[in-house]
Amino acid sequence: MTEQTLEKTKKRIKISNLHEIGLLIALIIVLLLFSLTTENFFTQRNFTSILRSASYVGLIAFPMTFVLITREIDISVGPSVAWSGLLFVILIKWYDFGYLTSAVIVILWGTLLGYFIGVARTKLFIPTFITTLALWSALRGYSLFVTEGRPIAISNKEFRYFFGGDILGLPTVTWIMLGAFLIFWFASKYTVTGTNFYAVGGNPKAARNIGINVDRVKILALIGTSLFSAIVGILFVARVSSGNANLADGMEFDVIAAVVVGGTALAGAVGTMTGTLLGCVFIAMISNGLIHWGIDPDLNRVVKGIIIFLAVVINSNFTFKSNSGGPKED
Amino acid sequence: MSDNLVLEAKSVSKFFGTITALQNVDLHLNKGEVLGVVGDNGAGKSTLMKVLSGLYKPSEGSLFFDKEKVSLNSPRDSQNLGLEMVYQDLALAGNLPIGDNIFLGREPTRKVGPFNFLDHKKRKQLTEEHLAKLKINVKSADQKVEELSGGQRQAVAIARATAFNAKIVLMDEPTAALAVKEVGKVLDLILNLKKLGVSVIVISHRMDDIFTVCDRVMALFQGTNFAESELKNTSRDEVIGWIMGKKD
Repeated sequence: MTEQTLEKTKKRIKISNLHEIGLLIALIIVLLLFSLTTENFFTQRNFTSILRSASYVGLIAFPMTFVLITREIDISVGPSVAWSGLLFVILIKWYDFGYLTSAVIVILWGTLLGYFIGVARTKLFIPTFITTLALWSALRGYSLFVTEGRPIAISNKEFRYFFGGDILGLPTVTWIMLGAFLIFWFASKYTVTGTNFYAVGGNPKAARNIGINVDRVKILALIGTSLFSAIVGILFVARVSSGNANLADGMEFDVIAAVVVGGTALAGAVGTMTGTLLGCVFIAMISNGLIHWGIDPDLNRVVKGIIIFLAVVINSNFTFKSNSGGPKED
Repeated sequence: MSDNLVLEAKSVSKFFGTITALQNVDLHLNKGEVLGVVGDNGAGKSTLMKVLSGLYKPSEGSLFFDKEKVSLNSPRDSQNLGLEMVYQDLALAGNLPIGDNIFLGREPTRKVGPFNFLDHKKRKQLTEEHLAKLKINVKSADQKVEELSGGQRQAVAIARATAFNAKIVLMDEPTAALAVKEVGKVLDLILNLKKLGVSVIVISHRMDDIFTVCDRVMALFQGTNFAESELKNTSRDEVIGWIMGKKD
């Protein structure tokens, strides 16, 4: 290897993988820290539990990565998960729909919701922050109104055991998440659609000049988070055997934190699925470890707040360095 | 007129409400020719380019590509006819590598069953071949555009414009934002396109650019044809006079 190619290789590692390598090292440090200071952290049971919560977050974090890359955001995912789960249960319990039919309707609902957010953004020029903030309030409020704040239970053992349980030692939801990861990873690297997300985030005007349908790309990204929120809603119901208006409280925070910790820039254009996957595990591990330390769950939120802040500090400094001159407007 | 005519605009006018941006402007371009278009701000240069590229529809007059009358509804139409525009702001995505930018929106793909997948290998190979053909030097086709200098970015924008066998390339102030030492490289690139048989229209304020690369220069003044000459029959002072609306 010549001097120059070595230099080039080094540089490429620096720019594209440094964040992921850094995160992996941080992950190992956190793992060692919790393992050495608590008794029950380093057990198979606990790892399964960490994986399970990372998986629910991950299923929404992958599409969220595309949303952030296109310079949009979806903060409605928590209430969206709760409402989707409720809708699923209501269809079964109150209207006697089958499980499959209900699931199809809920997934359709998620798709339409994302389409609505996307159209509001691209045709009515409403920032996604505003639309999803409105939905954040409306979906949670309506869920509470419909149920009067009480959970609605369902009892179907097969459904609970399969989707809420384990397969081959891993939670079913983890297998689903890994499948989704592969699809999203592949899409981001090897499809025209995936490239278009990066192009739209990198320079929307250029993308439009070239003939990329920028509106369609953004709508597609936004359908992703709503659709997967609907899927996670159903999976949550399988786990807890009920629909509950208070489900997934604060989940939008975990999802966005995981994506940002994973190296995706809130300003768009930069981000990888591998980073997001690591980010999900990182956030889940910290939440779990703090509980093992006996720290109050409310303080847990404080710690997560600090983590996301620090992640953005590190993240934007990376962006500045690789970006000859800081973030650009367009 | 010559047999090599690739593009012609005949008495093109463009009105925006009561404002006349262009009035009965004629323009012609031969194969492998570099035409310089000069004029003061507001003389109608950019409007004329936008009409040629299909971004604006002319209010009056007609366009001919290869002597055939055409009607353009969008930049896509002119692209299909072999005309590409290099925008002043370059319109590149800084977060993407050079190759991705060149093939953005026109990526080489491989069909696997019903699915179309990106062909990274082919894209890289095509990028390297194309950059070599234009004698553009970059460290690697995988470099991100935001890591490049202004001149290299301009080169990438030109490479993108010519990656699909463009016959005509329009360039709006290709050297305006560049460091002095990079201007020469971009001008070399334009001469290279000429050698490859591409016709180029260059809008520029810089007499150095015009007198280095152009075969012919035409001046617009207040939206009309003002003067035109083969480069060898004119001088810098004369062209500067045209820009200011002075003719001997």
